[in-house]
Amino acid sequence: MGGINFKNAIIINDDPAPYGDFQTLIVPIKRAGNLIIVEAQLDSLEGNFVMDTGAPYLVLNATYFRDAPRLRNQESAGINGDSDGSYTTVVHNFSILDLHYSRITADVTDLSGIENGRGIKILGLLGTRLFNKFAITIDISNNLLYIHKLDAQGNIPSSERIFKDPYLHMPFKYLNDVIFLKGAVNDKTMWFVFDSGAETNLLDYRKSKKALSTMQIVSRSKLTGIGGSSFEILYARFDKLTVGDKDFMRNRVLITNLEKMGKAYDHSVDGILGYDFFSRGVFSINFVKSEFEMYIYNNQ
Amino acid sequence: MRSCRQYIILLLLLLSGMIAAAQNPNNLIATRTQLVLLVDLNSPKNYLDSIFKKAAISNVNINNFIKGDFSVLTKDGWVEAKRQKNIVQFNRPLKDLKANPPENPFVVTNDIIKNEPRHGYMDNAVYGVNKFINVTVYELPSGLTRFNLPGYLNARRVFLSGGFNDWSTLKGKMTKTTTGWFIDIKLQPGGWMYKFIINSDWTLDPNNSIQMGDGGGNTNSVYYKYNYTFKLHGFSIAKKITLVGSFNSWKNNELIFEKKGDAWELPLYLSEGMHSYRFIIDGRSIPDPANPDKYKDSDGLLSSVLNIGETVYFKLNGYTNAKNVYVAGSFNSWEQGKISMKKTTDGWSVPLILPAGNYDYKFIVDGEWITDPQNPVSDVESKQLNSFIAVKPNHTFNLIGYSSAKTVILSGSFNNWKQNGYRLGNNGSQWSISLHLEPGKCLYKFIVDDKWILDPGNKQWEQNQFGTGNSVLWIDR
Repeated sequence: MGGINFKNAIIINDDPAPYGDFQTLIVPIKRAGNLIIVEAQLDSLEGNFVMDTGAPYLVLNATYFRDAPRLRNQESAGINGDSDGSYTTVVHNFSILDLHYSRITADVTDLSGIENGRGIKILGLLGTRLFNKFAITIDISNNLLYIHKLDAQGNIPSSERIFKDPYLHMPFKYLNDVIFLKGAVNDKTMWFVFDSGAETNLLDYRKSKKALSTMQIVSRSKLTGIGGSSFEILYARFDKLTVGDKDFMRNRVLITNLEKMGKAYDHSVDGILGYDFFSRGVFSINFVKSEFEMYIYNNQ
Repeated sequence: MRSCRQYIILLLLLLSGMIAAAQNPNNLIATRTQLVLLVDLNSPKNYLDSIFKKAAISNVNINNFIKGDFSVLTKDGWVEAKRQKNIVQFNRPLKDLKANPPENPFVVTNDIIKNEPRHGYMDNAVYGVNKFINVTVYELPSGLTRFNLPGYLNARRVFLSGGFNDWSTLKGKMTKTTTGWFIDIKLQPGGWMYKFIINSDWTLDPNNSIQMGDGGGNTNSVYYKYNYTFKLHGFSIAKKITLVGSFNSWKNNELIFEKKGDAWELPLYLSEGMHSYRFIIDGRSIPDPANPDKYKDSDGLLSSVLNIGETVYFKLNGYTNAKNVYVAGSFNSWEQGKISMKKTTDGWSVPLILPAGNYDYKFIVDGEWITDPQNPVSDVESKQLNSFIAVKPNHTFNLIGYSSAKTVILSGSFNNWKQNGYRLGNNGSQWSISLHLEPGKCLYKFIVDDKWILDPGNKQWEQNQFGTGNSVLWIDR
């Protein structure tokens, strides 16, 4: 879920490294719509978090964490306050099963849109920084998240590898805690954000002009954004999505203006690879070596 | 040069489109700079409806459009670019996609991804009986339900996850014994899908024969928490006794009695509301001899009638000189003269069995409709002030103080934010109302003498479109 005006991006990450007595931690996951839900514990509070590689770090839902202490000189935004009222805090004793974080810097922001859209209580978003010492593997069809500790070379030890012979193995650019994958739409080169919290693929309309004429337009829609402003999207299909050196056929995508999301990442975005892409297989992200892998269920 | 190339691309697209959709030349396509809408004025109305829907153009009067009135499209930003016989081409620039860029992917996908009801819940289960290979799930005298999983002694941890704990992967932590794992949980009567999470693997209950798809591609085990037992005394030499009823479409040989001492018993889960049923004793069908409530169907066959729910005593003090007192409400479609109340020493009373829910009601005293003078809580429906009662309420809203307020109204997502609906009762120190709410998220506010306020007793609120916030409440199953 990018673009939530991440406050914490500029703050130097001096949170202590997480710890846990495991080599590979296997965490059962759930689904809500196309979202991947992981349960975690913050102090005595247990609840649902969205697995969201589109977020750079931990984001907490203001509905439940409004009273969390504010870091530094941040203005308190009351109910009639300005802006979006989000701010940075520090939380202690956060756990995903056996993986423990003694202290994490997190944003508190309004995530009510996700809750109301999906009808599930959401305490927050699990962003990439939580896993930057690990590799994570998500097997959606079996509802499992694997969190792997890495060896001295930054690899998953071969005895701990669950999946072998990836269909796709590629490096990624890791900019501001966001994963950028190089690829193409119908042979037009693009840089995509890999966002496990995006429920569809998205393309920026300016970057897809060349590719648009090769796409089948399914429909046009007018939608309402935060604060009631309306924006337009095109829903399209196209044949060939290339990620790394591999092709993925029969793709669906929403085309709109990704300018604001790019600003949130502090880097322009041509497109976002979401559920339509990653639901095709098991995907694995090695944050230490900046490598992305995919093991395919279905490439049709 | 560019426009020439565009034209060629458009032509090619048109041609390919024509081959693909020879029957329907209406189409929406994109070029490098614009969106192109092609409409055949001669096409059937449903084709035109669907192409306008595809292009997100609403409120087009098709008859006017066919006659050449394109004003709705023009207002929406489309420009008539070309007309060839009956085919009209409209263009709009792609840069229209630029306005108000969305903040995050969820804003874009929220309305696009259909919000299906969450899978793995059996809220509409009408009846059910359990079928275990070994009875490993059972009721305890304490009222709790024990789930056992024998074996798996090498597992690091085991959780019970199901509809009852919102499919939590953390809340249902089971305790290890010398023979396996167990957990005691509080269950409401009904059907419940569940699985064990052994280490991290979602696992069906190996001892439970009932499995059900959740509509989302997963298969789960099912346990029914019972709320009723059918009993039949005598018939000691009968070989087989079964139950048929409206709840199972009168299907025979599905629900089979067991002999317990000198009676036959059949415990099961049965949903709240009215059911009709019969017993079949060695092939002979009879109504329930122990149940006086019977009705004759169109074939002249007598069936027994059973009403499952909570018994609510409606009482009206005084009015001892009245001749007839009735109660009517949303529970009986406000039919007057149907539910008569009985005279007691100090007033009138009648017990009613009602399913869990929220009800408006009034008393009718010798033809005059009155609200319940003993009930401070009311609801306004169709501009009528009625008394209000919740059966099996699962939340009480309290507002402390505000003792000088004239009215306090509760408005929320559960009553479509009705501004003149639930009126709280005042007991001197606080205003209160109890409701039976559906599981899930509720948003609400109090209206104190026309002023909307957040619930000061609830820290959880979220922003709304007016910038004034709504209180947030989650109702568990």
